[in-house]
Amino acid sequence: MRTHIYAFGSICRGDVSPGSDVDLLALVEEYEPRFDPDTYSIYSYKRIGEIWEEGNPFAWHLSLEAKLIFSSDNFDPLKLLGTPGPYRNCARDCDKFRSLFFDARKSLERAHTSKIFDLSTVFLGIRNLATCFSLGVLRQPDFSRHSALRLGERSLSIPRQSYEVLERSRILCTRGYGAKVSDEEVELASANFSLIEQWMTTLVQEAQHHAA
Amino acid sequence: MQHEFNNRIAAQRAILKIVNGNGWEAEDLFGLSHKAIERWVSINRLDPNSALVNLVKEAAQKLFFLANKSQEQITSEYERTSSEVSAIRDALAAELAGVNPSHF
Repeated sequence: MRTHIYAFGSICRGDVSPGSDVDLLALVEEYEPRFDPDTYSIYSYKRIGEIWEEGNPFAWHLSLEAKLIFSSDNFDPLKLLGTPGPYRNCARDCDKFRSLFFDARKSLERAHTSKIFDLSTVFLGIRNLATCFSLGVLRQPDFSRHSALRLGERSLSIPRQSYEVLERSRILCTRGYGAKVSDEEVELASANFSLIEQWMTTLVQEAQHHAA
Repeated sequence: MQHEFNNRIAAQRAILKIVNGNGWEAEDLFGLSHKAIERWVSINRLDPNSALVNLVKEAAQKLFFLANKSQEQITSEYERTSSEVSAIRDALAAELAGVNPSHF
């Protein structure tokens, strides 16, 4: 069965820290139970071709960063796909990730449980929005975990400590790693939500203007 | 389809709110990744073979690609219907109803 395995993400950038995981992509013809979805992002060749054509940010990420580590047929299918199509959905995607932030904030305000998950979702929204913006508007894609801090004058500007609480929440939720976030830290991070909303709205508007 | 990603995050949140609804003595379940579940089971000294833990793992499996991945696309073979996730959510609620979590 044709199979290809790639590494991508922080390990390819040398951007490794104790909270880093190793991002692996498996390309397969069809469902293969031998690939653990906790370890691999698993795509069919058909689907990877589709996201390439769409100019999806993940396709751009892979095209710029992925390194082939196993090939069953000595071909490098991602290289053969060439450059992904133009990324046309930046404004829509930025808006989607702002909505993710709104949902998490609402959840935090209304409920007293799972706050760390909501902070994690805020971090996910911030990071993904920044990555989409860097690709779609700035044309200088940044796929790192800290893309929101690498947008030059458009970088997210909140106190470092608050940002780190959000990042730690994300790592706790995804990798189960790190010290638990305290209630005081939840408050600390939440206190900057209006700044985050303003930053997101500015980027969404710029992305919309760019698309028009 | 464009908000499928957000919908799945919402589904994950709904599961977590049910599991964490009564509070855990040691630590809440932070996410549905394999490692987050392992941490929760270990720190709360839960029976890894209990019905509760199995239901949480099943929910995680249905929503797996959002549990630890930041991307949203995956092959259609892995798509799960929202009704399946809803059924697990209901089963979790029933499992936890009126029961002290420390008994697991």
